[in-house]
Amino acid sequence: MNMEVLAGLSRPIIMGVLLGGLYALIALGLSMVFGVMKLINVAHGDLMIFSAYFAYALMTAWGIDPILSLTMGIPLWFGLGFAIQKYVMSRAFGISMEAPLIIAFGISLILQSLAQIIWSPYSRGLTAPYALGGISLGITTVPRTYLLSFIAALVVMLVLREFLRRSYLGKAIVAASQDKRGAELVGINTGRVYAFAFAIAMATTAIAGVFFGLTFPFTPTSGVGFLVIAFGVIIIGGLGSMLGTFIGGIVLGLTQTLSGHFLGAAWQMLFVYLIVFVVLAVRPQGIFGR
Amino acid sequence: MEKDSQETFSDALLRISNVDAFYGTFQALWDVSLVVKPGEIVALIGSNASGKSTLINTISGVIHPARGTIEFDGRDISTLDPFQIVTLGISQVPEGRRIFPEMTVSDNLILGSYNRQARPNRDQNLKRVYEHFPILEERKNQLAKTLSGGEQQMLAIGRGLMSDPKLMLFDEISLGLAPKVTEELYKAVREIRAKGITILLVEQNVRRSLKEADRAYIIKAGHIVLSKNAAECQEEEIRQAYFGVCS
Amino acid sequence: MGVERNMKVSINQWRLIVPVVLVVVLAIFPIIGIPLAWLLYLFLFFVYMAMANMWNLLAGYTGLTFLGPAALVGLAGYTLVIVTWNDLPFYLGIIGGGVVAAVFAALMAIPTFRMRGIYFAIGTLVVPEVLRNVFYVWKPIPGDFIGGGAGYMIKGIEGLSLTEFYWLALTIGIVSIIVMRVILRSKLGLGLAAIRDSDRAAASSGVDVFRSKLYAFVIAAFVMGAAGAICFVYQGYIAPVGAFNIRWLMTCLLATVIGGIGTEEGPIVGTIIVVFLHFLLARYGELSLLIQGVILVVIMLLMPGGIVGLIRRKTRDYRSLLQLATRR
Repeated sequence: MNMEVLAGLSRPIIMGVLLGGLYALIALGLSMVFGVMKLINVAHGDLMIFSAYFAYALMTAWGIDPILSLTMGIPLWFGLGFAIQKYVMSRAFGISMEAPLIIAFGISLILQSLAQIIWSPYSRGLTAPYALGGISLGITTVPRTYLLSFIAALVVMLVLREFLRRSYLGKAIVAASQDKRGAELVGINTGRVYAFAFAIAMATTAIAGVFFGLTFPFTPTSGVGFLVIAFGVIIIGGLGSMLGTFIGGIVLGLTQTLSGHFLGAAWQMLFVYLIVFVVLAVRPQGIFGR
Repeated sequence: MEKDSQETFSDALLRISNVDAFYGTFQALWDVSLVVKPGEIVALIGSNASGKSTLINTISGVIHPARGTIEFDGRDISTLDPFQIVTLGISQVPEGRRIFPEMTVSDNLILGSYNRQARPNRDQNLKRVYEHFPILEERKNQLAKTLSGGEQQMLAIGRGLMSDPKLMLFDEISLGLAPKVTEELYKAVREIRAKGITILLVEQNVRRSLKEADRAYIIKAGHIVLSKNAAECQEEEIRQAYFGVCS
Repeated sequence: MGVERNMKVSINQWRLIVPVVLVVVLAIFPIIGIPLAWLLYLFLFFVYMAMANMWNLLAGYTGLTFLGPAALVGLAGYTLVIVTWNDLPFYLGIIGGGVVAAVFAALMAIPTFRMRGIYFAIGTLVVPEVLRNVFYVWKPIPGDFIGGGAGYMIKGIEGLSLTEFYWLALTIGIVSIIVMRVILRSKLGLGLAAIRDSDRAAASSGVDVFRSKLYAFVIAAFVMGAAGAICFVYQGYIAPVGAFNIRWLMTCLLATVIGGIGTEEGPIVGTIIVVFLHFLLARYGELSLLIQGVILVVIMLLMPGGIVGLIRRKTRDYRSLLQLATRR
């Protein structure tokens, strides 16, 4: 390979890795819910986008900085997640196998239409003075938002990992995902643990939404695409390991930037979705292989 | 069908009275009554699908009785959730162990003391478990799935001990294990009883369980068919009750 | 004896006559001056019902939670574009659309049937996303796009009025009902019922699981595609964002769930309500979707069997109550 091609690749590669961090952050919430409760929350993407809209509302109404607005967004999303699992999803599980899926769809529809009613179908974005422009990383310059998102992803994932490893509740969440009956017999209130897991997942999703909103424009219907990406991340990276999620994110991020680099911007997302589909098809048993 | 008629122990720790239990529309337990006194080892014997595990799960709250009551320490626990029953002092070492495979041995044990009452005594209980099963301390940072069958069973028992139980339910602890390992496990069971914990033991291995137990119940197809002191059990009547062969 | 036999024959004849009469009556609606608004309602009703019926066949009867109707509809629509831009009659485009959708379904089956449960659902969800992006970059007709939306007008439909659209819709609606009736009463239908409960159990009873699913999938795809193409004929225009929109899935889902998933009458009842809602809330724009979402959640929680399920339960309760009351 000649040096020019290599040098030209350095930017998309670095951008791909940074983007991968954001994708991993986005996938965290889905991974947690799927890992613990074996539920694919199809409203995941929309919940993330709604967090971006929430921050947008605070930004436009009172000029609150998006990252700062997370002090409100996180507890709100936490509570929302707790309520959804405790009062809606737990009942859905008892109804039928498709019920949680369909209900999540309903929630997705509700969120999309709410967003469209309140903020119209035109695309919006989050802005902050420190998030504008590029930053030099030696070899190349990248948009600041990419770097910020990457750092946020690292921080959140580390915090979450330590929480799951060290605290009683964290361990209980992990245990309940490995053997529900065993967890019950040890004195774990699995219903409450599931609610907490969903709540934590939603909190990370709120964070993901804000950083996503700072990096890219969004519309009420942007959510589905990110559900697919998040799902792709956990299929590629596996469940139960932060490193795996990170790698999954980076694989998709690189796919996007490299295909954009070689084929043009219009092809990026096509390849990303294609890879997700191919991995799904090649590993039909998913991660568990049960 | 033979039953000792004085099932009216007033000092019973666990009293099961006339319990019916269902899996969906299938009735698994029929008018089951059983008593465990404090400090005893009681054996529950029966073949496969006799309802032994169902009974254990009903005590633990995984299944709720459709009829009848379950009293523990004078309190009706028939409608409680499993995690609440653990808090009251009943600990089940489940069939198939149900340990957390991707977590370390020490994490598995620590989770045993999850309920609020047991947490303050955690380190103390952990030491005791390691005394019963030194091999667990050796392997404490290994993932539970890397343990051998016998070690996993020890882990399950140890985990059950961590919740400061008054009553422990052992469901088929010797299943699939070599006799030597089974001996070690039963040695631990004796040690546990010596510490004052009451034990209800479910076993397919009739002779083994009768050796350890004070009293025995035999269950067949969801009915209690025999209830006797272990020492008085004759092989013939056991066989009849177990297999239901009319003589 | 002779009188009874005559009566029996009569009842069977009625079973055939009533639907035929109904169809004829519906068919002459446009001619006898039924208001346009009603015709429009019925147009949407028949098209959506056809799709919902097929979705129900897959999700309710075969156990295939298929989340990609948008893929089939969109592809059928673009087939229509290609056909009409090549100066072929539009109804060939509709049939072509159905065929292309069916072929695509057969191709999709190969990778997706191996995915179990939720993975199948997400896998089929991804497909429309992929296709939408494909059609952003690929131009089926060489040349420039109309406007900025990467879309195409449908040609060869000038001079068509609501009457013709209505008849097209009526046709596909009836086709979907006939397909349902025939399949469910056939050997294939029995196989599907077995598969819905358990793939493995069905396989061990000698059902060729893959082939049964494939047949159901391909047939459903044809009808869905044709129905979608009819929609685009009415709309006159197609663009990637609308062609592969998740709204196609939402309509099927909502209609089937409200009516009763896994029941034959469910999608019909459900579509009546969905289209009614569509008109009732049309001027409220996005609010109508919001309400549909709320309805979906509420129904799944409170009435998972849908309206038909509720009615069946009530009649069963009533019947057993009646038995109790009249016990000899």
